[in-house]
Amino acid sequence: MTTTAPLGAEEQTGSPAAEADVRRRTALGRIRTGNGLVFVLPFLLVFGLFMVWPIVQGLWMSFTDSSLALRDTSFVGFDNYTEAFGDPDVWSSLGNTVFFTVVSSVPLVLVALAMALLVHSGLAGQWAWRLSFFAPYLLPVTVVTMIWTWLYQPELGMANQLLDALGMAPVGWLSDEAVAMWSVAALTVWWTVGFNFLLYLAALQSLPTTFDEAAALDGAGAWRRLWSITLPQLRRTTGLVAMLQILASLKVFDQIYILTKGGPNGSTRPVLEYVYDVGFTGYRLGYASAVSYLFFALIVLVSLVQLRLFRRED
Amino acid sequence: MSSRLPAQGAPAVSAPVRRPSRRRLLRNAVAGAGALLAGGPLLSGCASPASASGASDLSVWDLFQGGDGMLMDEMIEAVSNGAGGAEGFDVDRTILDWGPSYYTKLAMSAAGGRASDVAAMHLSRLAGYAPGGLVDAFDLDLLAEYGVTDKDFTPAVWSRTQHEGTVYAIPLDVHPFIVFYDKKAADRAGLLDTSGELAPMGSPEALLEAGRALAEATGEAGILFGHVTDTAQNWRLFAGLYAQTGASFDLPDGGPPKIDVDAAVRVVTLMTRLFDGKTNPNNLDYNGALAAFSSGRGGMAMLGEWELPTLKKSGMELGAAPFPQVFEKPAVYTDSHSFVLPHQDSPDPARRREAHRYVAQILKQSLTWAGAGHIPAYQPVLAEPEYAALDPQSSYADAAKVAVLDPPNWFAGAGSNFQNRMCQPLQSALLGNTTPEKAVRQMVREADTLLRQPNPVA
Amino acid sequence: MSATATTLRARRRPPREAAGSPLLLGHGRLPRVLAGTALVVLAVVWLVPFVWAVVTSLQSEEDINTTGLSPFKGAFTLDAYQQILERGNVTVWAFNSFLISALVTLITVAVSTLAAYGFSRGTFRGRKALLGVTVAAIMVPPQLLVVPLFDQMTLFNLVDTYAAVILPQVVAPMMVFILKRFFDAIPRELEEAARIDGASEFRVFRSIVLPLSRPIVAAVAIFVFIGAWNNFMWPFIVTNDPDLMTLPVGLATVKDAYGIQYAQSMASALLAALPLIVVFLLFQRRIVNSVATTGLGGS
Repeated sequence: MTTTAPLGAEEQTGSPAAEADVRRRTALGRIRTGNGLVFVLPFLLVFGLFMVWPIVQGLWMSFTDSSLALRDTSFVGFDNYTEAFGDPDVWSSLGNTVFFTVVSSVPLVLVALAMALLVHSGLAGQWAWRLSFFAPYLLPVTVVTMIWTWLYQPELGMANQLLDALGMAPVGWLSDEAVAMWSVAALTVWWTVGFNFLLYLAALQSLPTTFDEAAALDGAGAWRRLWSITLPQLRRTTGLVAMLQILASLKVFDQIYILTKGGPNGSTRPVLEYVYDVGFTGYRLGYASAVSYLFFALIVLVSLVQLRLFRRED
Repeated sequence: MSSRLPAQGAPAVSAPVRRPSRRRLLRNAVAGAGALLAGGPLLSGCASPASASGASDLSVWDLFQGGDGMLMDEMIEAVSNGAGGAEGFDVDRTILDWGPSYYTKLAMSAAGGRASDVAAMHLSRLAGYAPGGLVDAFDLDLLAEYGVTDKDFTPAVWSRTQHEGTVYAIPLDVHPFIVFYDKKAADRAGLLDTSGELAPMGSPEALLEAGRALAEATGEAGILFGHVTDTAQNWRLFAGLYAQTGASFDLPDGGPPKIDVDAAVRVVTLMTRLFDGKTNPNNLDYNGALAAFSSGRGGMAMLGEWELPTLKKSGMELGAAPFPQVFEKPAVYTDSHSFVLPHQDSPDPARRREAHRYVAQILKQSLTWAGAGHIPAYQPVLAEPEYAALDPQSSYADAAKVAVLDPPNWFAGAGSNFQNRMCQPLQSALLGNTTPEKAVRQMVREADTLLRQPNPVA
Repeated sequence: MSATATTLRARRRPPREAAGSPLLLGHGRLPRVLAGTALVVLAVVWLVPFVWAVVTSLQSEEDINTTGLSPFKGAFTLDAYQQILERGNVTVWAFNSFLISALVTLITVAVSTLAAYGFSRGTFRGRKALLGVTVAAIMVPPQLLVVPLFDQMTLFNLVDTYAAVILPQVVAPMMVFILKRFFDAIPRELEEAARIDGASEFRVFRSIVLPLSRPIVAAVAIFVFIGAWNNFMWPFIVTNDPDLMTLPVGLATVKDAYGIQYAQSMASALLAALPLIVVFLLFQRRIVNSVATTGLGGS
């Protein structure tokens, strides 16, 4: 970080009146801004209240039998953690979360990259492509799930009617335990790929074109240049997009809660829904906090691994 | 990530044209600060305009959709317009999705302290709300003023409205798990008595025989029951039959559950013998069974009475009866839609009073509610000739006297995880994937796991 | 090469290059045909759910309940839209969504730009440590905190208020970080002149740094707005009163007496989706350019 000029530097001005005026203003400026801490204070206030407090409070709650019901809370030591380690639903929901993260993140990065490259290639109708790929991202989650529940509807939905027209047996998109999570992932790719697409598009637009031009002059074909120039140039962006995507996918709750409530038979229940289920539906806020902290440990682990990979690439 | 200079060529000095937008920003900020400072719902005034007529505002939550939802609309409209010459209400009704989502929201709104004035609740769920202070007690004197007392309900149902002697719920209906039958098929099968109603059965063998006779009479299935992937049906069937054996199903905190394993195995064995996949199909889901019965592909269906409006549309000559007694004791698995007062941190006494009056008024409308098949819990309605004329509702009204609800426990009741967990092993047994003994052992294990969780409402 | 693409790139590349041959695809016909086909296929796949929803919303419930792949089963009608607007729920939720997203955006942008400036130019003690904590907090997903946050809101007696929906959403360490990096890159010389003229630090921030940062502030505002607009879990947890719900929460939670009606649910879905799509349509080029300034998409 570079050093800055002292805040409220000395002034040199002529008339005494102006000087006094300036001094007053400067004094005011100094009181208001000092060494810059004042600028940070509002953020520190909300950060302390709505980030640090809940983090500490959640940790405390995870050691209590805190309940949604209106009654006294008592300290229970590591009971919640012991219970969580032995709770098969914790592990299956963590497993579901990881599975979803894998099957959603991979296409979310690759499809976004493909879309951005295709759009960037300069075919006509840019606004139309951008709109079709990005528009779903602007839909509130319930709207997305409404549309897809309708597409997945067993008898009247488009998906099964399409299969029927092709002479294939209908699929229980949301009712078959082996299929449901894939259906959720497909919805998620459709819904959120636009954001990654935009990041890639922005990156492509800011790439220096010199290498590409030189290679083109040397007669390298489009395919060759894509593989040996453009994609390597996008390495950092891909790392970043993948990192943001993995973190986003790990946090999945909204679309699954609305679409399947974690069913059928718990096969799509992500860990955040389990937190909701035991904490709010089952009243056990303390236990839910413990599960949250186990999940937090997983997120920290994933983040550290990613950071290491990221560093090594540099 | 590389940091980049602002490449967009933004002007170095802010242009004066920006002032209007800054003013707009300021106005929004003021509005925002207002909203935050007020700390309260900006809209709570607008959504239900304060009534000039003097009728009181009441916010009401329930989970009634479809036929039930429309009948409830009718009843609310009747009391809002001042039924029986009483003063009206200005009701703001909110309908949430049936099941866990409703009960979660209800508990959270009570914990938050700004709950609705009145809410619907399955009586079987009360044990998860009353002990934890999530619902407030009813004032029986106040209710009596509006013409509703404990004597207006059957003891079997009234006994479940209390926690430690205090009344927390007022039942609107009793909705048993019953049998519907095709009168023509049942007649051909020789199952009707002289008055044309289903004759008593009295033994498991008689029930099995009835299935065979009905299968013969229809040329297709005998008794239909949809349970695959359903999270309640198997439990309803099991719990009713189990209660008929006279055994108790107790769920003491900390476990182990007190379940009579022999009786439970007898019940599950009967269930698997009945739905053997030949005489009576064993692999139907809820809607499949409903559709099969409506289209005459079976002589009898085991369903909740709430399917009555749907079945009436089928055009068959529809009969209904309380679930037949086949073991030692008469018992019918039942639940009850009731009204509760969700906990409010600082309830307005006048509004609370109106809430009591509202509940009393709605109960008096329950003849309308009977249209959906439900048995009104408010007995004076049952005595009315209009109710006796309701067919087939009046033929299963006695079910309310032998009503059996879920064991009272914070995690049990309609739409609960408990029912769901009980259904899984039962489903496996019916599908032939496990034996009745193993299924019962699994049920005991599941109940034990749930009981070993610390009780969050005690 | 389309005109749109040309203007898009014009900011980064000299115009004559952009007007020349499309670099990525070369001169051959085949790559262009292949790329075009792929693009069309993808776009169609992405648009079909929308079209299906639109068609469904324009039919009567009876027509929908007959099977058949063709979405055009009966006469078109606007009944579903009319019924939804009459009921008024969707309008209330849309208003709430806009109010809440706007307030979240306003407060977050104000708080975050100030903080980023303080972190970038400040000399106070503990600055590095606080910045480190802020950056570390990027890793903490707010969804993990819903349980203690709900507990906190119960304590403050704020459950079922706008404040409870808004306040926890204004903490945006990521945005502070993005803004700080941008501010770091602004040359100090511009500010020195103002300081010498006696401008207070706040004035320097407001009249020099902020105007230079308009694109990035716009990008941050867009991110925050879309984030708040799409936020489901927290508003879902902290609001129970339907009059306070946002669009996604209201649509997911509140039902009507009649049960599931496909045309109506598609119509409300589309009504809910419309405003933001129109905004994107109007400002899409600016949005893409703004995203580029955040360094998130940078290489």
